[in-house]
Amino acid sequence: MSDVVFTTTTTTTTTTTLAPTWDLVEATIAENFVRYLDSLGNLPGGQIILRYIKSSYKNDPIRSLFELALFIFALNYFLSSKKKENKSELVKFSQREIDELCDEWVPEPLIKELSDLEKWQMYSIPTIEGHNGSHVTINNKKVVNLASSDFLNLNESESVKEAAKSTISNTGVGACGPPNFYGTQDVHVRLEEDIAKYLDGENSILYGQDFVTAGSVIPAFLKRGDLCVVDSGVNFAIQKALIVSRCNIEWYDHNDMDHLEEILTEIKPVMDKQRPIRRRFIVTEGLFANSGDVVNLPRIIELKNKFKYRLFLDETLSIGVLGATGKGVVEHYGVPREEISITIGSMAMSFASSGGFCVGANPMVLHQRIQSIAYVFSASLPPYAAKVASQAIKEITSNLNADGSSVIVSQLQKKVTFAYEKLVSLSKSSKFFEVASGPHSPIIHLALNTQYREELNLPTLYGSPVFLSTGKPSKFLNEFDDYYNIESFLLQKVIDYVLDHSSTLISRSKLILEHENLPVLAPRLQIYINNGVTTEELSRLVQILPIAFNEVLKNVDSELKLISLNSEIGNYKPHYINY
Amino acid sequence: MARKERVLTANIPNAAPDDRPQEVLDELEYGKLSTKRYLYVSKHPVGEPLPTPIDDEPPYIIYLATYISYLILIIIGHIRDFFGKFFKPKEYADLIEKDGYAPWYDGFESFYVRRLKIRIDDCFARPIHGAPGRYVKCFNRIRHGKTGYLYDGTSNECLNLSSYNYLGFAQSNGVCTDYALGCVDDYGTSACSPRAISGTTDLHQKCERVIADFVGKEDAIIVSQGYGTNANLFSSIADSKTLVISDELNHASIRFGIRLSGASVKVFKHNDTKDLEKLIRNQIAQGQPKTHRPWKKIIIAVEGLYSMEGNMCNLPEIVEIKDKYKCYLFVDEAHSIGALGPGGRGICDYFSVDPARVDLLMGTFTKSFGATGGYIAGDKYLIEKMRTNYITQVYSESVPPAVMGQIISSLSVIEGTLNPGEGQERLQRIAFNSRYLRLGLKKLGFIVYGADDSPVIPVLLFLPAKMPAVSRMLYDMKIAVVIVSYPATPLISGRARLCVSAALTKEDLDYVLQKFNEVGDQIFLKFSSGIAGGSKVEGEPPRWAIEDVLATNVEDCKKPKLGYFN
Repeated sequence: MSDVVFTTTTTTTTTTTLAPTWDLVEATIAENFVRYLDSLGNLPGGQIILRYIKSSYKNDPIRSLFELALFIFALNYFLSSKKKENKSELVKFSQREIDELCDEWVPEPLIKELSDLEKWQMYSIPTIEGHNGSHVTINNKKVVNLASSDFLNLNESESVKEAAKSTISNTGVGACGPPNFYGTQDVHVRLEEDIAKYLDGENSILYGQDFVTAGSVIPAFLKRGDLCVVDSGVNFAIQKALIVSRCNIEWYDHNDMDHLEEILTEIKPVMDKQRPIRRRFIVTEGLFANSGDVVNLPRIIELKNKFKYRLFLDETLSIGVLGATGKGVVEHYGVPREEISITIGSMAMSFASSGGFCVGANPMVLHQRIQSIAYVFSASLPPYAAKVASQAIKEITSNLNADGSSVIVSQLQKKVTFAYEKLVSLSKSSKFFEVASGPHSPIIHLALNTQYREELNLPTLYGSPVFLSTGKPSKFLNEFDDYYNIESFLLQKVIDYVLDHSSTLISRSKLILEHENLPVLAPRLQIYINNGVTTEELSRLVQILPIAFNEVLKNVDSELKLISLNSEIGNYKPHYINY
Repeated sequence: MARKERVLTANIPNAAPDDRPQEVLDELEYGKLSTKRYLYVSKHPVGEPLPTPIDDEPPYIIYLATYISYLILIIIGHIRDFFGKFFKPKEYADLIEKDGYAPWYDGFESFYVRRLKIRIDDCFARPIHGAPGRYVKCFNRIRHGKTGYLYDGTSNECLNLSSYNYLGFAQSNGVCTDYALGCVDDYGTSACSPRAISGTTDLHQKCERVIADFVGKEDAIIVSQGYGTNANLFSSIADSKTLVISDELNHASIRFGIRLSGASVKVFKHNDTKDLEKLIRNQIAQGQPKTHRPWKKIIIAVEGLYSMEGNMCNLPEIVEIKDKYKCYLFVDEAHSIGALGPGGRGICDYFSVDPARVDLLMGTFTKSFGATGGYIAGDKYLIEKMRTNYITQVYSESVPPAVMGQIISSLSVIEGTLNPGEGQERLQRIAFNSRYLRLGLKKLGFIVYGADDSPVIPVLLFLPAKMPAVSRMLYDMKIAVVIVSYPATPLISGRARLCVSAALTKEDLDYVLQKFNEVGDQIFLKFSSGIAGGSKVEGEPPRWAIEDVLATNVEDCKKPKLGYFN
């Protein structure tokens, strides 16, 4: 830099004050130049630079100037690289104009108030008075609870509660710190070992909340330029995780293995040429939350090995439910866990605790301990919750039948089969509903009968197809959909009828339509089978359901009548006591 | 006498039962207050401008040495990587393509962890057991091989300046614990379902009522994790036509949440309200990029207390700006709720700002209340809408009963309805302790960042080699601190972060000051120039003798402005 300063100053002074003899100018330049160069030698390391300049630029001033220009350009480039903003797009305003614009600007409200057509959604959230479990109190009435994700009913287990209490009496409630800063306790480590052992994985890692698990694990491994091939029926958590990771996405039709194979074959030539190889995943769920189907795992494993993809499997709903000892779809199909590179799951479902986890190979888990943001930047799971989950795994695995299956898991599976078969046979004679989930799903989905929906002119899918067709999520939220709202409302009426007439609480698929990025299936009634409920109670529900559907839907036989329900929606009163 | 041979194991052992009497254990979780002199009420004088926090700078030689240290570490790391790949391919197996599969992570991505962090790995993730109250019990371990540890089953009981336990509610015995245990009996261990399906109990509604009343808002929603609260919030309030203006030091969860919502983001200089105003004015004038249509709305996102710097946001000025330009204001009170203000009601309470002037108040239960999870508090219409369109309400687990028990009971203690007087004492102890320790460190000559009343006290270390030194020396002196370096802080300002707690006594803090003094002398940590206060004579670097500090600190730390003696 000093050279630049030198040249400009001397030329100006010489041209103005001294006689313009070229020799003199040259002499001054030479003299000053050498002086400056010599002073460079006083700086630490300057001698080396000096020697370099002297030896390489002898008798070649043009080259020196050229290199100097390059140096200035590089310096300018590095200094200005922080201001990337495209200035040409900005409009120039004076301060007064900005003041006026600020005065004129009228923002929208922070959130749009609930409209009359939406309020019923809030009013229809049930409030349980006291203990949650298979039998609960609602509106001062004892009812059977078939809306709880605690499928094995361990929330009512005394030994599980005892585990929680003894830990709270030792460690307090909260963990008071992130896992990497004094937030990891012995109980956390025990649970990680227990989960890894239970699910036959090498190692495992815990998260403080189930929903954030996918959203943190996927972006830790999938970056821009990586590829994942994804089932188009995946749940909301995975949709969001994929968007955040910014990786390339290919969709295959929901659970359609032939389509998956087609896509993998199609992109194989491109993938073969890729150097270096990028990470590639097949992303799917074990038991689909949206549709209640079980993934075709054997075929996927075959394909992933053939095309060399890793498999990400979300077992949130399937662990504790599928397989003889509740180890999920992996046990259901009898394939080894090591075939699945990343398994995530929830402890807030069958384990009657809270938080999420991820199981897999050592390097994968260790990488998350530093790079997974929900692990690094949030407090640990409460120690008692870790102990509860450990105890739940013990409850599942220690009490076995003669054939080696877990007692409580097999009890649950029998109840699922019982209710499923009953409902399938009843649905055949009903004009209004059909069973939409698979035979193994502990959440039985009842959808409105396809033909009946056609008569009412209801669309097959709601939401936006943009994400599926372009691989990039739509920039806009889904609009409020009248039909989706009414269809959900009809199901709510069935739920209310069942609650009033047979003291059983069931639920429906509750999705936030405006946030969903993939096309959304029509709303469904959902029955969460619970191990604490007897077959008599299930029979009672099965009997009342066709009646309930009939009562609610018998007068709704045209699109016009459907739309006219909007007036009823506006008048829906809270069905539950609010405190 | 036969010495008992200890068995070394690679796995973290289970903690041995502690058979000391209950009073002793209680005292180890929450120290008794010796005299009422050690109390202080934290409150910002109304109308007075917030003093700009002065970040002292060390001599240039320290900066130079820090850069050179990192340069050496990086060069040696690369050399080792280069040769290691030839001579020890096994160690690099995870970084190399195998049978057509890409490695789990890139060598470049993991360089920092493999070559820098691993050298000081023992200073992180120390496993503990028991309630992390006044003392924290860390399992002793020795390095085994490159990555493993060996444990002998013993643990080191350290004074706890590491956990987020501002009000000292991390206790395993007492009214709050009893209440939490009762909730397990009455409600179970799990919430069983998302809120919208069947996870709402009367306890959830009670808890939300209590927290809304406490922070002074109409209604509130509770969420089972603090990180998840922020990470999912912005999707409900912002879309691609919304501009979110975010402080550059906002927590990762806020940044993640904004990214998830797809909203446009602009970042303003940390706590610089002039920069904020300029940015807002320009953005309102320019509108959305390309189309120049006006923004639908502008949301300012700031934190009440910044966890790495110990700074408070300049709430009074931000509220003025927000009103002037019709923006909405979101304040993350993760660290400030409970810890600041005469009533513990957070940053609004501290600055005497009406909570109604902040549109959304968010906070967590982890730091001050000894529980876990977070909340969003706002106007009734906001919260009602969010009950139907807030992601966590529908897609994730709800708050488990024991946690709510802890929240409700600790808030009752703070408000004085449970154990009257105890809450007051806790609030005034954290205020006193924060000021006492901060001023003591300043007087000794350490560079300390942050506001006077902040319970987060970062002590600057700069050089990477000093981080493990401080951590290990203090650990041997039975003090547990957290060291933070790049990437959580800028590369050159590695620091030890002290989190003060109401559970600590004044005597504990004296011990900490004494030990810090020793360590500071031994490894040359006293860099401060005095511009941030603490000097005996104005303009001179403060280097008080420890005896003088201890003799004067109680009175000095109660003066309105720390470290300026006239």
